[in-house]
Amino acid sequence: MTNLVNCSALELAEMVRARQISAEEILDETLTRIVEVDGRPGALDTAPAVDDEKKVHAFITHTEELARSQAQEVDAKIAKGEDAGLLAGVPFTVKDIFCVRGTPSTAASRILANFTAPYTATPVERLIAAGGVMLGKVNLDEFTYGSSSESSAFQPSPRNPWDLSKVPGGSSGGSAAAVAAGEGALSLGTDTAGSIRQPAAFCGVVGMKPTYGRVSRYGLIAFGSSLDCPGPIARNVRDAALMLQVIAGADRADATAATQAVPDYLREIERGVKGMRIGLSPDYFRITFPDPQSGEYVEQALPAHMQEAVWKAAELYRSMGAEIIENVPMPNTRFGIPVYFVISRVEAASNLHRFDGVKYGYRTKQAVADLNEMYRRSRGEGFGPQPKLRILMGMYVSAAQYSEQYYQRALKVRTLIRHDFENAFDPQGPYRLDALLTPTTPTTAFGMADVYGDSVMMQYADQLTVPANHAGVPGISIPAGFSSDGLPIGIQLLGPDFSEAQLLRVARAYEMATEKEEWREKKPSLLEGK
Amino acid sequence: MKNTENSIPRDVFDHLVDLAAFALGEDEKNYLHDQMNHQLNAIQELEAIPLPDDLPTTTHGVEYGDDGKPALRNDEWVACTNTQEILTQAPELQDGYIVVPDIPTKELE
Amino acid sequence: MSVEYEAVIGLETHIQLNTTTKIFCSCKADSWDDAPNSNICPVCTGLPGVLPVLNRKVVEKAVLLAAAMHAEIQVLSFFDRKNYFYPDLPKGYQISQYDHSLARRGYLELPIPASADPNGKGYVRAVHIHKLHIEEDAGKTKKERNRRYVDFNRCGVPLVEMVTEPDLRTAEEAGQYLIRLRQLLRWLGISEGDMEKGNLRCDANVSIREKGSSVLNTKTEIKNVNSIDAVKDAIQKEIERQIREVEKGHAIKPWTLDWDDNAGVLRMMRSKETEADYRYFHEPDLLPLEISAEWQADILEGLPELPLERRARFMRDLQIPEYDADILTADHDLADYFERTIGLYKGDVKKISNWLMNDVLRMRNEWGMSMSEMKLTPAYLAELVQLVDEGKINITTAKNLLPKIQESGKNPRTLVEELGLAVVSDDAAIRAICAKVVAQNPVEVKSYREGKETLIGWFVGQVMRELRGKADPKLTQQILKELLK
Repeated sequence: MTNLVNCSALELAEMVRARQISAEEILDETLTRIVEVDGRPGALDTAPAVDDEKKVHAFITHTEELARSQAQEVDAKIAKGEDAGLLAGVPFTVKDIFCVRGTPSTAASRILANFTAPYTATPVERLIAAGGVMLGKVNLDEFTYGSSSESSAFQPSPRNPWDLSKVPGGSSGGSAAAVAAGEGALSLGTDTAGSIRQPAAFCGVVGMKPTYGRVSRYGLIAFGSSLDCPGPIARNVRDAALMLQVIAGADRADATAATQAVPDYLREIERGVKGMRIGLSPDYFRITFPDPQSGEYVEQALPAHMQEAVWKAAELYRSMGAEIIENVPMPNTRFGIPVYFVISRVEAASNLHRFDGVKYGYRTKQAVADLNEMYRRSRGEGFGPQPKLRILMGMYVSAAQYSEQYYQRALKVRTLIRHDFENAFDPQGPYRLDALLTPTTPTTAFGMADVYGDSVMMQYADQLTVPANHAGVPGISIPAGFSSDGLPIGIQLLGPDFSEAQLLRVARAYEMATEKEEWREKKPSLLEGK
Repeated sequence: MKNTENSIPRDVFDHLVDLAAFALGEDEKNYLHDQMNHQLNAIQELEAIPLPDDLPTTTHGVEYGDDGKPALRNDEWVACTNTQEILTQAPELQDGYIVVPDIPTKELE
Repeated sequence: MSVEYEAVIGLETHIQLNTTTKIFCSCKADSWDDAPNSNICPVCTGLPGVLPVLNRKVVEKAVLLAAAMHAEIQVLSFFDRKNYFYPDLPKGYQISQYDHSLARRGYLELPIPASADPNGKGYVRAVHIHKLHIEEDAGKTKKERNRRYVDFNRCGVPLVEMVTEPDLRTAEEAGQYLIRLRQLLRWLGISEGDMEKGNLRCDANVSIREKGSSVLNTKTEIKNVNSIDAVKDAIQKEIERQIREVEKGHAIKPWTLDWDDNAGVLRMMRSKETEADYRYFHEPDLLPLEISAEWQADILEGLPELPLERRARFMRDLQIPEYDADILTADHDLADYFERTIGLYKGDVKKISNWLMNDVLRMRNEWGMSMSEMKLTPAYLAELVQLVDEGKINITTAKNLLPKIQESGKNPRTLVEELGLAVVSDDAAIRAICAKVVAQNPVEVKSYREGKETLIGWFVGQVMRELRGKADPKLTQQILKELLK
């Protein structure tokens, strides 16, 4: 029998529809895999255990019963000859930043640890309606605030399946780790500055941030509302396309969900890149960041192996008939992080106002004199350091006397970043790109605890991904080999608004061209022999 | 952070903590204050960017044309069927009300 | 000698629009009779992850009000978040409009009646508003034994906020403004405008200064006032308090005051709310609100002539006294009724005004219905008064007919016939009765003929009695005089 946990979502759904296998069988095998590799789920107030370092720890909540009933429903439909959906029997996980009715929806924070959502997020609802089987809620940085998943209040935090001493990235670290470790074929993540693409790159899987508004945010516990994008994480490009197909589209519960028709993402996905214009920008081959000691800005070229992966991909595309346009200027890329420091914090501070101990979530157990003390203690005890830091920063830069200096200015620089993309993609412009090809991350996965605690350096891990969030444009990260120390390298493709179909096609072309390469055979050491 | 020029004064920091409604220990305050100054340093970069006067602000990156803009909601009542499920999330509930400690007021003479 | 002070008053009004549903979710807007926390959903209780979706009707009603206030409606306006903590505000921010509101500027020319003018003459006070915007309402809290009880039913009810410039000078003027605003809201059909039910709410900013000065001194803000009388009362008390403070040499502090209607006292709110920094920023969950020229034109097609304009027109074009014009424009239905009636009536419009004010309104109130629901239509009223004018029925008959028309829904002419109420003006019929009366009363006939001509009234009365009051009195007298010669 095929090893079901290694099958793609497309294969699984096809087999289920063809009655070659049942949804419940897939579920059983996936649950076995989870037991083998995942270890204990993240929980509040846990002491570290030696064994923790040997497992992935992707989960916060397992929803086995729910999964069982969903699988049975799919099987019942198949038995009756009904359409069981595009994702019939496909097991998936959900980043625990989405509300799912009847399940704890924690945002990886103590302040929501006891919150059971009374409603279900639109993208999750669509996954389930399409026959998907939800395995559980996976771990992340607290409220998505981080790039390593280490800031979760639910410990142990996830580890990178390729090297358990490394982080899986973040904030959708649990999602990327789960998919990489065969704990479900798909995972629903969110990307506010790179939180889908960066962990996908770190974990050697595919992650797509769709155009802002392409996928409804209803039910996504908000971080940076003007930046947040739900999106797919999968082991290959076609699965990502399939998942996007299911979750994309207008939603009457989200006034920012775009109403453009959703194209068939799979129909032309294998038609190659002949005649396409794919760009490279020097501004994506270096990062600029303030030196932690001196505070001075340092410009640093990306490590050679990160650059080489992109050049190699460019060569492949050229060989497939694409035109490679070099030296596309994206001069405002370096401002992505400072702008993000302002905009996302202002939105986050406001979005986190509602966690006040009044109507849901954590309320202090201590005796309080009045309402204000209840607020202060509940929020002081309920939030971890990252949310607190973002709230305070957001309050500072949006305070009446600083708003003009920081917030209004950041919104204008955001316009400049958008202009970079408009200029690169303008069909009448000098570059006329169909896609911009870049590294996804400045480095491969870093070690657990190596960056954690330094909020600035952690943030700069997003420098190559965050501009797309500012501009609203779609991006995808796909695996492109490994570094010499065996860690996955991701490359990123960025495109104009609503060009997901095209981006997936470009990504799929790379995948097809490298199908026979040796590195494609590699498996996470954790899964050797499985 | 060594750069004191770009640092947030302690009283401003304390005011923000108050505004954010956080009860914090000293260590936590120090860590947060330090990190904020560190971040502020990163943000300062924005001030040096030359901006044309007529440069508009961007609130969502994507532009919503007429084809992509969702319609406003029609004024039609749809009753929520699980209000109890919402209420049971409240830490303290009595006779259908959510209960919190009081906000004191004072009478003028 | 003592200084003369004047008050400087600005009103911040919140108007609940009478839409079916809330502003950002599909819960009912009106939950006056509902159990606490029963008219709620994930959106209006601010659950994590929910998003607002704007109700189109809210925009349309607000645009009508903006136009009626002569305000400039903006093609593009933005929603903003106003961030603060309060238990009745589940999201921790209120979605409002801050620097790009739905409409800007505007005014109301407020007629102050003689009764509210210390000089007894009456005058007009121009009250300006600087902006008009839409926002969501918060929930309600009540206090019981050191606990607050929170009810979210009202969360998300659509509000229009209108803030006046500090143009008002007396508590009485503030009251008049609210009366006129309430009239306008009902006239436009966009709000019940009932202060007791909180559909119309008013916070008052009050300061004082020496009369004749143009400085704006420190003001206090009075909140939680829930009737027009209470607004006047609270403002008057605050003006007096400020005068006492100033005369004692104390400075006025920018306090927020809470009006306790039962005790009739102002209380200071202890929180530092006056210092709050709301950190407004554009609401990223909503796109900018665009009101295209077409949409605006569609909405304004429903904009009627405004009450004060109509009142002025009645006075100017119809020569109706101010008192009548005020009553006749009290509500839109009544003013329409009046105009439709006079359109069908050939006579002095003041007569119709009298009929309406004296008889029809009393009847409407007794029957507890609106003018448009009455079976006594404008056409019937016009016909009825016309019948009197033509001498077909007398005025007493006409008044007695009013409830009969309302009960039966029949037109007055038909009823007059059916009930045989028409004045008898047939010469032969009256002549026969007159002859009978003359024949039956020889003593009186003799006295009359001997010179006691005042007896003619008595003879007419006898004829009237025979004809149950329907005889044409002039004709009767003429025939009697002939017969008695």
